[in-house]
Amino acid sequence: MDAVIDVSGVEKMYRRKVHALRGVDLQVGGGEIFGLLGPNGAGKSTLVKVLLTVIKPTRCTGSLLGSKIGNKSVLREVGYLPEHHNFPKYLTSRQVLRHFGAMAGVERKTRNNRAEELLEIVNMSEWAAHKLGTYSKGMRQRIGIAQALMNDPKLVVLDEPTDGVDPIGRRDIREILLRLKSEGRTVFLNSHLLSELEMVCDRVAIMVHGLMRQQGTIEELTEGQSGYKIKAGSTIDASAIDASKDAVRGVECVAEPGTNEITFKTCDAQAVQPAIDTLRQRGVVIESFGFHRPSLEKLFIQAVNEQPDGARPGAEKGKGGARS
Amino acid sequence: MILMQTKAIFIDAYRELNAKKLFWLTMGLNVLVVALYASLGINAKGFTILHWTFDSDFMNTSFISRELFYKIQFTSWGVPIWLSWATTILALISTAGIIPDMVSGGTIEPMLSKPIGRVRFFLSKYLTGLLFVGLQIFVFATGCLLVLGIRAGTWEFGLFMAIPIVLAFFSYLFAFCVLVGLVTRSTIAALLLTILFWLLIFIANTGDAVMLSQREGAILRVEDRQVDVEVQERFAQKRLEQFREQDKPIPGEDDVPLPASATDTLSAVNPTLTTARNRLREAEDSVPVWQAWSKRVFLLKTVLPKTQETIALLERHLISDDELSELMKLGANQQSTDENQPAMADPRVPERVAVIMRARTIWWVLGTSFAFEALFIGLSTLIFVRRDF
Repeated sequence: MDAVIDVSGVEKMYRRKVHALRGVDLQVGGGEIFGLLGPNGAGKSTLVKVLLTVIKPTRCTGSLLGSKIGNKSVLREVGYLPEHHNFPKYLTSRQVLRHFGAMAGVERKTRNNRAEELLEIVNMSEWAAHKLGTYSKGMRQRIGIAQALMNDPKLVVLDEPTDGVDPIGRRDIREILLRLKSEGRTVFLNSHLLSELEMVCDRVAIMVHGLMRQQGTIEELTEGQSGYKIKAGSTIDASAIDASKDAVRGVECVAEPGTNEITFKTCDAQAVQPAIDTLRQRGVVIESFGFHRPSLEKLFIQAVNEQPDGARPGAEKGKGGARS
Repeated sequence: MILMQTKAIFIDAYRELNAKKLFWLTMGLNVLVVALYASLGINAKGFTILHWTFDSDFMNTSFISRELFYKIQFTSWGVPIWLSWATTILALISTAGIIPDMVSGGTIEPMLSKPIGRVRFFLSKYLTGLLFVGLQIFVFATGCLLVLGIRAGTWEFGLFMAIPIVLAFFSYLFAFCVLVGLVTRSTIAALLLTILFWLLIFIANTGDAVMLSQREGAILRVEDRQVDVEVQERFAQKRLEQFREQDKPIPGEDDVPLPASATDTLSAVNPTLTTARNRLREAEDSVPVWQAWSKRVFLLKTVLPKTQETIALLERHLISDDELSELMKLGANQQSTDENQPAMADPRVPERVAVIMRARTIWWVLGTSFAFEALFIGLSTLIFVRRDF
């Protein structure tokens, strides 16, 4: 799978004061949905803007769709929905789509057809002749997504696409994302909504204070933290915990004293069965048994709490950080 | 693709204008002013407004042809007052927000992420700002052309020269407005500072006109007083000859001392000559002073955009030098020279100033103004290209 985005050592320093990006390495493969996570001020939007030539990096090597970062012509194949976009309110959604299609270099006939098609996809056909000034935030977001798809892009970059969208709208957007993936497009998502990302992303990266902290599939990121969890109906005493540990040798076990849960960090359910037997023999009532993987939210919080040397919070421009 | 993108930017700009009430309000006022223009007329008795005739000794068809009358109205208030002041203020109010709105968060990112270079995008946006004025002048000039054709029987397509000329005039101010809007990102700051800048240009223009009038008035006074001295000298010469014929003692000669008030024999026989010479010296002394000030203001104006002269190019185009000379004489005949008035109040001064103004080259008027505009637009483009959004 060829890398659609392949950059390394991306740095951005604002006015020699604010270090927004501190040497970011990022690889995104073709045809995948990639999620970029990070707290406010982490540098997510700055990174996206660097890739799309909206911001000039202090240092950057790598490519976007095989072209050097900064090459404008490659943007014909990229669709972008910025966060807090502000499309002209005096235009109807049909006019917005046609306008941005023309700006992306789409021929007139193609863009007219494509606009109607996309209005249908984002369920906005009925509103096509209404001006954006009369739309709700969710409707504007749908038009924003349609706008990003006008040039039939190979890479779609969406910055907080579900921002201000109701649950039905989020489901619709999820379906659009999966549809894009099935069409072989690469989707790059920037979002705070971890549960949304967890549902659609093939790979994620966690960015904190301008540094890429973790990158990989959710399975890869949770490796070593996943396992089978035994949940008892009451508190498990220390001797029962020790006994169950002895029953499953060679597998790391996590159990806090005074808890009713024991987790064995293995993917093999059979290997944990002796522990269940031991607990039952000691009169412990087993309430549930199943495979447990930490949520993306837990991973995210862990990553954010690991403070690297030299990093300081609030480094991203205009996003509630030091420069906002 | 370049044409497609440029066309899209202009269509968007037109839609933006179309959505603005001020654009249509200005258009309505434009039509009203054309109607006012059409209501004016001239006949053998005087000038007319609708069906009323106002008798005038000078403003009638014996002195001014219908064609010239309408051209004068067009160049004396249609363009300099309506288009260059009223429409320009309305246009500045409408367009001052173009750049601050364009660079605001959420608007600029989708545009910069498209395959269009920043320089081309910025310059296209700048040109769209001129669209407001362009459309308004086009409507106004077309209306005036119809009035001139129907009421004076002349189809003067030269009126359309108003479009590039007023556009050039507006573009000087808009270039300044764009730079301020880009730097401050504030519509109010862009508008107010541009109006302030316009005021500065107006002061420079007024200063130039005053200094030129003073200089020309002083030169005319010197010329008049030279004639006066020559007359007095001839008179003194005659008296001297009379003295010699009558064998009268001549002061300064024949051991007759000169009177204290006289400097030579001629002034001794004609005391008025001394006064005339003193007055000439006085007038000559004032010329270099006004020449120096006039030069200073001219230099200041050279670096500033020439708004007044640019608009006056239309008058140059529509009214010939002969027609202008006739008009100036018509005005000058109604006044007389008064030695006690300030030099610039000489009724011949306006004609001389008008001739000097007209003699200023188009290169100086447009070349230096466009150089100023290019500098400001270049600076704005550089800032736009280098800025992170």
